[in-house]
This record gives sequence, C-alpha cells and structure tokens, in this order.
Amino acid sequence: MLDSMPNENPFQDPLRFERQVPECVIVIFGANGDLTKRKLLPALYRLAFDRRLSAGFAIVGISRTPLSDDDFREKMRASVEQFSEDTKLDNDVWAAFARGLFYVSGDIGDAGLYQRLGEKLGQIESDRHTGGNALFYLSTQPSQYAPIAHGIGAAGLGKGSGWRRLVVEKPFGHDLASARELSDRLHEVFDETAVYRIDHYLGKETVQNILAFRFGNGIFEPLWNRRYVNHVQITGAEEIGVEGRGAYYQEAGALDDMIQNHLLQVMATIAMEPCASFEATSVRDERSKLLRSIHKMTPDEVRQNTVAGQYGPARIGGTDVPGFHQEAGVDANSRTDTYAAVTFFVDNWRWAGVPFYVRTGKRLAKRVSEIAIQFNTAPLHLFNQDSGETSVNLLILRIQPEEGISLKFLSKRPGSGMTLRPVSMDFNYGSSFGERSPSAYETLLLDAIVGDPTLYTRQDMVEASWSVVEPIQNAWREAKADFPNYAAGSWGPAAADEMLARRGHVWRKP
Amino acid sequence: MSATVAPDSILRELAALWTQQGQQGDAGVLRACTMTLLVIAEAADDAAALGETVAALMPEHPARAILIRLQGEGERALSQRVYQQCWKPFGQRQQICCEQIEITASDAALADLPSVILPLAVPDLPVILWCRSARLVRRPEFGEIAGMATKVVIDSAAAGDSTDAIVCMADGVRSGGILADLAWTRLTRWRETLARVFENRDTLARLSEVDSVQVRFGPGYETAAWYLAAWAANALASVGQVVTPVISRQDESLRLELSGGTFRVELSRQEDRLVTVVNEQSNCTNLPRPTDYLLMREELGIVRRDAVFERTLASAARLAVSSSSGPS
Repeated sequence: MLDSMPNENPFQDPLRFERQVPECVIVIFGANGDLTKRKLLPALYRLAFDRRLSAGFAIVGISRTPLSDDDFREKMRASVEQFSEDTKLDNDVWAAFARGLFYVSGDIGDAGLYQRLGEKLGQIESDRHTGGNALFYLSTQPSQYAPIAHGIGAAGLGKGSGWRRLVVEKPFGHDLASARELSDRLHEVFDETAVYRIDHYLGKETVQNILAFRFGNGIFEPLWNRRYVNHVQITGAEEIGVEGRGAYYQEAGALDDMIQNHLLQVMATIAMEPCASFEATSVRDERSKLLRSIHKMTPDEVRQNTVAGQYGPARIGGTDVPGFHQEAGVDANSRTDTYAAVTFFVDNWRWAGVPFYVRTGKRLAKRVSEIAIQFNTAPLHLFNQDSGETSVNLLILRIQPEEGISLKFLSKRPGSGMTLRPVSMDFNYGSSFGERSPSAYETLLLDAIVGDPTLYTRQDMVEASWSVVEPIQNAWREAKADFPNYAAGSWGPAAADEMLARRGHVWRKP
Repeated sequence: MSATVAPDSILRELAALWTQQGQQGDAGVLRACTMTLLVIAEAADDAAALGETVAALMPEHPARAILIRLQGEGERALSQRVYQQCWKPFGQRQQICCEQIEITASDAALADLPSVILPLAVPDLPVILWCRSARLVRRPEFGEIAGMATKVVIDSAAAGDSTDAIVCMADGVRSGGILADLAWTRLTRWRETLARVFENRDTLARLSEVDSVQVRFGPGYETAAWYLAAWAANALASVGQVVTPVISRQDESLRLELSGGTFRVELSRQEDRLVTVVNEQSNCTNLPRPTDYLLMREELGIVRRDAVFERTLASAARLAVSSSSGPS
C-alpha cells in the first residue's frame, strides 16, 4: 500500500489554510529559567491561543528542581499571566494547553534523567499521538549544551519514530575554535539539518520585512550597491545596563553578545545578494556568502576601525545610574566592553569600499535597533538648502521599538523662493496593519516545529561571523583600553565619533 | 433626495477630513490604504451590521470603503456622505484612519454609478467588489461595475437560483475575471479539517482505498454540497483516483463521506460543531457559523487567482447543471 501512497496531501490548499503544524512534543531543558518563563511559554501559549498548535502538542519541562506536573503547570500559568504582553489568559485555552504540560526533574549529567525522559516521551507519544516528533530546546547555560546533547544521544532519544530536532540559544561558542567544537559535539547526535541555532533578531517582523522590501520591490534593489550607497549604519542600542546579568555579561561583552550574532546577521540580510528562491537553503547560502565576504581585519585595521567602550556612572533624569563596575556581579577590574563600534567592509563587487558602521551598547541614550542606509548626495547643489542640512537621502529600517521604514528626502519649503528642507516619509509596520505581529519567538518556534530553518543560523554562518570577530577580540585583548570611556545615558565614547569622522561621516542619533 | 453626486467634491471632502484629523492631537494620524473596498447592498440590508463588518475589516485590510446602498425603484436618486473610520492599535498613540464613502442610489441612477465609482477608486491599488445584492447581479449595470474591480465577491448561496449563479460565476472565471464565492469560503474549515485528517501518514497511505465520495445536504446547503463534492473529487483525481461523487438530499445540514474497503472518513455539521469520524474514531471541534466579517477577511487576503477555487467552481457548475437536469 505504501508504494501507491501519494507524496503530498491532495487536500491541502496553502493559499487558504494555515501552515500545517505537525503533532510534536517540545522538551525544554532549563524549564525554570528566565527565558522559558519570559519568552518560550508565553510564545507557545499564544500559538495555542491562535490555534496554531496541533491538538496533541505537548511540552516537557526539565530542570533540577523537583516539581510535579501540576506544580509545573501552576508555575507556567503564572509566567504566562505575568509575561504575555498582549494576550490575556483564557481559562479554557489554558486548560487544554496545560493538559499537554509535563515535567521531569534531574541533573543534566545524570543518565537516569534521560531514561526518565525517554519513558515520559513514550507515554506522551501513545497518549497524545505525537508521532514520535520531538524538539529539544536548550534554554540552559551554554556550557551544558554538549553534555545535554550527549545525554540525549546516549539514551537513544536523538532518533525516534518521528523527527528529532535540537534548538540552541546563543552564544554558539566564544570564538571560532569553540564554535567548531560545539558543532562537532552536537553533530555526534544531531545532523546539521536537525540543529536550529536561534537568533531572535531574525524572527522579528522587520528583519523579515527587509527581504520583502529588497526583493519584493523593483525600485530599491537597483540602488542597493556601492554606486548609490554612501555608507550604512546599524545600531543595536540599549538604554538599560546589565540588569542582573553582570556575571554572564562580563564574560561575553558587547562584541560577542550582539555584534557576532544579531547585528552581523542583520548586516548579512541587508547586504546579501538576491537568492534564487525563498527556500531555506537558498536564503541561508546567500547570508553565509555575505558573512564570508566581510573583510577580516589586521591588528592595525582593528585599531583604525573599531572602538570598545565601557560605561561609567552618570545621573540620568535625576536618578544616579551606576557604572558597569558598580553593577552587581561585575568584577571591579573588569575589562569587558559594554559598547562596541566596528567599521566593516564587504569584499565583493556590490559593496567594495562602502563602510558598514555597526554599533551596540548598554546604557546608551535610548533603546533602538535600526539600519540607516545613507545614499550619495546629489552631484550638484542647485538649491538653497536650510542651514545645516545637506541633500542627504536616508532610508531607515527600524527594528525596534516601533518597527517601520522611513525615507528622508528634500522637499521645497512652502512659500516663495526655492528653499529646501528635509522631510520624512514614514511607514509604521505595526500600525499600518492593525493586525498584531507575532513575537520573534512565536515565529521561530513555529518554524522549528514545521522544519523551516530559513531564519535559523547555520554552522557555516556561525563560523564565518566568528572569523570576522575573532581578530577584533584578539586585538582588544592586547590593547590597554581606558575604561570607563562613556557616561551612561550618552551615545557612546568620543572615539566612536572620531572613527566615523575620519571618513567624513557622523553617527545618527536615532 | 439629491439626484447628483460629484466625485470631485467627495475627494475634496475626504482631503478636508484628513487635514482636520491632522490638526487634532499631537500623536498624529496615519493614513493606511491597501485597496478600495466597494460594497453594494440593498437598502433593506441591515445598515448597522454592515457598517460594523466593514469597520472590523479595516485594521487588517485598511481600505477606502465605498458603500453603495441600492434604494430600488422610484424616483431617480443619488446622494453621498463621507466619513472616516479611526482606531488606535493596542499600545499605540497614533490613530489609524480609513476613508469611508456612502452613496445611495435608486435603480434609475444605477447607470450613473460607474462614472462616480471610477474616480473614487484609489489609484494603483486593487478594487474589491463585494456585491451583497443578488438582484443587482442580474441587472445589466452590474457588468460595468464588476469590470472596474480586480476581484468580485458574491454569495451564490444567497442567490435565488443557485444553479444559475454558480454557472454564471464559472463563465465569469472562464472569461478571465477573478471571482470569489462566500459559499465556497464557508467551507474552508471543513476542507482544512479533512486535509488535517490526511496529514497523518498512515491515513494518507489509505487514500488509495477511497472509491466513493458522497455528499448529503439539507436546505440551504445545495451550493456547499456541489463545491464540497467537486473539490473532494478533484483532489482525489490529482492523485490518480477518479471517483464520481454522489450528491443527495437529507433533512438537514451537510455531510461528506469518503470511503472504500474498510476505510471511511466522514465530516458532518452537528449544530455548532464539526464532527470528524475516521474509521469509527470521532473527533469534535467547534464550528461556529462563519460571520460576514470572517468570510470577507479571508477573501480580502487573496487578491489573485485562486486555482483550487477555480478548478472546483468549474466542476461544481457541471455538477449543478447535471443535478438540476436529472434526478438527484
């Protein structure tokens, strides 16, 4: 009978039906952690609320703390109530969702944990008809990724009657060698096609909209190159400090925590070549090619094209704000960068010579993530322009807080005479369509369940970005930075302004 | 009642509304528009309910809505009013507003409608015509109005002669028009439920056993029955199984059965529930009567040819003709 089985379901109608979500169980390691409570459970609950999950969907939480299934359900209910930003808890939806919540306690180094997990998965498979499909989500310390993968493999849970996938959170290693080692360890149990490295920036609607904007429209792509683009600024600024993550953050720093993953992925999306199709492999191949094209700096180039920073104490709006060294859990002599600015160049035909200025930092003036593409000025200034303004055309793609796109251009000032002034044409993504946008975790979790890795980071992409970042890490390690070098609440160190000034550019103040 | 409408003055009124809105408040107003939604309804159609439906559609499908109310026979009459529909999305300070124009026309003024509508349609964006008047569809003026639309949405289930309606629609599609039928849209949940049954690989493997498609329908479900039978038969044919569907009347509601050998899948409506039975194992899901809002929300999201619908419509029209010409 299987010989005559159709390959595809003839009753499907992708134009009208929601994407089919297979039955599965998600196993969350680190089920008592912050990420599970703040992001994963609220996202999964919202998917259930929107009827995007299958009827047999189940979650198994794993953590060291002994809890019953009911205790776990209660804790997760409290998390959903507290952290769901725009979804009220519906008792009926929750009751159905909670019936699929289970808990297994144990130490990740203990083989018995995986045996108990295997028994639980078997029971769920038979009770809820999950077809043997399982997604293992590692929401733990990165040092536990390899031991967990090993435990899953040793217990024979890496393979089953359905598909098995592994989702890992950043950081994917702390340099090129450790990233490769981590991948090798994960590949002992899971093929690369089953490893989903999550970068929540890529799940944001606006980052996905970059692809729609660039490749769905005919008018922008012809301008998207060195002939018309003067430079690009990518900003990932945070207003807050390390907020209780001091111990983790001082091991990572801004360069590793933001630029190596989120911002380089955003840059790859902005600068990649058009892909042949919107298939996962095509899109990821182009991102990967772009990352591999980023110029790797010599130590001398690192000195010219990068700036590390660390915030000092300041008074913001009448409140004293501590410097990095005064934050809880931070070593008083820490040399960790809380700010990083880098000028990247892409060694390819399209972008040769165009600077990509990328900056990120804690305790900056405001929380904003955006990409600003500055086009070349008009070749001749025919008109009187308002003082201080040049005929700069800027295209701004805002990722957060208000996702949208703005185009700045010059317009004639009303009245007699021919004086120009800049105006901004704004498209606000969230409010142009009244419909709610899914959170990045909702998008990415659903993608992992249906097996679409387009928005996930592949091993070669991780390695390519570490190859770019590693020379900077090495040079910074040897340099003697004079920290703190920027006040909390400012736009970063003066040296970052000087870095742009050398090429006649200035940072935007978004 | 006035007997003329000047599109130019309507557009001026709209511009004045935007200026007025822009001067109110400091958070500003965002103008959003993805299409022109042209709704034609009889005067007897519940104006308040229709207004609520159109308003509910705006957040997801921001549009310039032109609502045409047909006054029927009597003196030649044509009048208009202009207003805005505004809302604040959750957590946002900025208002979003859409334009609404209401035009009232007597039958004697129907011939003037195209010249009024044409300049009011937003340039370069699709025009979707939702015609709720079965009477207008049969009038000669309908062709010219429908010709301005990118997509025409009607409800064959509400037509007096559903066979005629479905055959006319099939003709319209054959001659290149993009059409939608809310009688088909109402079946999306049914079709999705059946598709889900065959997402299971074991069940999919048994599809080759199916040699019978039966649809039984009660009053009001005739068009749905043709569509459901045609769609199921077409899907089976696409995997090489040619099955002639059998359609028969029953006391109430709608029932679809695919069977063969020891395999049987049945979907049936029981009050507000959709009951799915796969080899005696039954499952029940909520199936509320789809509102106009839900149906139009789905249709406004598809502004292009819908190949599955068009194939099904062609087959359903053949079924309708054969069932009306012979015993069912």
